[in-house]
Amino acid sequence: MVHLNTGFTLFLSLLVEAVPFLLIGVAFSSLLLFFVNEQQLVSVLPKNAFLGALVGSLMGVLFPVCECGNVPVARRLIVQGAPTAVSIGFLLAAPTINPVVFWATWVAFRGQPEVVFLRVICTLLIATSIGWVFSYQPDIGPFLQENVARSRFRDRPKRNLTGGSSNQPSLLQGGTFLQVAGGETLQLDTPAAQRLVANPVQAQSPVSKLQLVVDNMVRELRELGAVLVFGSAIAATVQVAVPRETILGLGQGMASSILAMMALATVVSICSTVDSFFALSFASTFTTGSLLAFLIFGPMIDLKNIGLLLTVFTGRAVFYLFALASLMSFALALAVNLYLG
Amino acid sequence: MVRSPRSESNRPANRPTNRRSVGGPLRLPWRDLLDVLALGTWSAMLFRYWIGGKLLLLLHPDYAWLSNSAAIILALLAAYRLLGIVQTSRRSQRTATGRNLSAENHITLLPRNFSSAVLLSVAVFGLIYTPQAFASQTATQRGITDTLTLTRAQPQRFARAAAPEERTVIDWIRLVNVYPEPDAYEDEAVAVEGFVFYPESWPAGYLMVSRFVLTCCAADAYPVGLPLKLDTNEAEPYPVDSWLAVTGTMVTDTLDGRRQVAIAPTEIRTIEEPKNPYEY
Repeated sequence: MVHLNTGFTLFLSLLVEAVPFLLIGVAFSSLLLFFVNEQQLVSVLPKNAFLGALVGSLMGVLFPVCECGNVPVARRLIVQGAPTAVSIGFLLAAPTINPVVFWATWVAFRGQPEVVFLRVICTLLIATSIGWVFSYQPDIGPFLQENVARSRFRDRPKRNLTGGSSNQPSLLQGGTFLQVAGGETLQLDTPAAQRLVANPVQAQSPVSKLQLVVDNMVRELRELGAVLVFGSAIAATVQVAVPRETILGLGQGMASSILAMMALATVVSICSTVDSFFALSFASTFTTGSLLAFLIFGPMIDLKNIGLLLTVFTGRAVFYLFALASLMSFALALAVNLYLG
Repeated sequence: MVRSPRSESNRPANRPTNRRSVGGPLRLPWRDLLDVLALGTWSAMLFRYWIGGKLLLLLHPDYAWLSNSAAIILALLAAYRLLGIVQTSRRSQRTATGRNLSAENHITLLPRNFSSAVLLSVAVFGLIYTPQAFASQTATQRGITDTLTLTRAQPQRFARAAAPEERTVIDWIRLVNVYPEPDAYEDEAVAVEGFVFYPESWPAGYLMVSRFVLTCCAADAYPVGLPLKLDTNEAEPYPVDSWLAVTGTMVTDTLDGRRQVAIAPTEIRTIEEPKNPYEY
């Protein structure tokens, strides 16, 4: 009974601490989804591969989204012709390199500030390197799912034609049109993929935008909240049900602790805004390096994320991402355990 | 904005010409109501911990405001959604356009109703269940120590915390951690409160006056304690987990083969569990 009480208290404590951050996270991601224009952003990105990867990794500051929100944004970036390095860097780093996640990690690991900074530095390092590596494939096309790749090519000639200006009246563009009420035109032959290209909600009025922000918040809360509930339940169960000797045996090993936490990160799929609280419940029994591995690897790759990634990339590309990210996370975490821990 | 006709035809609910065919006045939007219910119950649960004071069992007080604001925001969200449902069922399906549009931007892992149900049941559970403060059993599980290990919050500055009799258990532990020589504290006055814990390795006649320390939330609560030297050799004279207020002086003792500080009590009172059982 005591076990059960401890477990429940732990579970509720994780939820109550995490929910405010989840709220902030979804509020930001919903707001920015509707008010930041990626098309303009893409046009000012650096062409140099390394710089591009770095800028892409840092772009999370503009899009404080966790890993469920960043895949759709990354997909829009790719389709709109952002360089490979930028897109990959953004994809991997955005869930971690953003103010909300930094704050949440700071709250959780106030006692070990090195974890907070190492999380940012290591994520930046990994995301930039992988973005750089991927940029050696000049055309990202073969890595993309067919429908995403097609939408890129459909988009290209149009971009050249319009000279990058998206404000051109649709009547000046070629195609078949219907005149609808209010002088608006409806293009009948718009490629289906164009819906992926433009962020479709930016053209809405401020009032309906607000409505959409709330709708989006509720939807993300529902989805991420449910995952958070499962994550917290797993963390609480491991805390009370697994004997301390077992946890310590696993958690104090230099390499075993890192592997265990990375496996946990992959399975638990907890949102990056709140994963630091999850990690915190292991702080007394696991090595610093393993906590760090959890915090840098989890937001990049996990079961939920793999599902999302596969909607954009081919299996092979996702495998490369997974392999590179896991190896680099492991190496960095091991270095922390060996030289800093 | 430009939309393909195909995507339009996927949304029959959206045809402005034929509003009446949608649903019918008595069909309730269950899914949206489930959302409202889940949001509202979460808010109610957070309000309950806030007003009932049980939030202190879960969180560091510095972060209570976060949870409290979340309670308010969730309540507002629920109210807004409810208002939206009422308006939508009264009038057009204006919002449906936006919903479907942004649904294209969003890929979900779990089925929608399932997520809502999970959230709702957890919030109902949170409304019924009263959190319990951690006790000795958790202390054993988490490995009670009288010296903070390296994974713990390090003191940011070295200050001899107030007068000796005003130091709490964690104040003492931090102090001893910085300067471990037990003789330095000989004869200093002690007045601490904590729960009773009997470490397995200690002989009869000793108990540990323990507290849990929080840096963020209950998930990282860790136990600390000071040894208390009793007059009797009776096993467990005070029940495990009962709360004591102890006054006395510090002495040096040898426990677990190590010299360390211990309290020689002049008075031991049994007290109620404090409203806020943790230290920070």
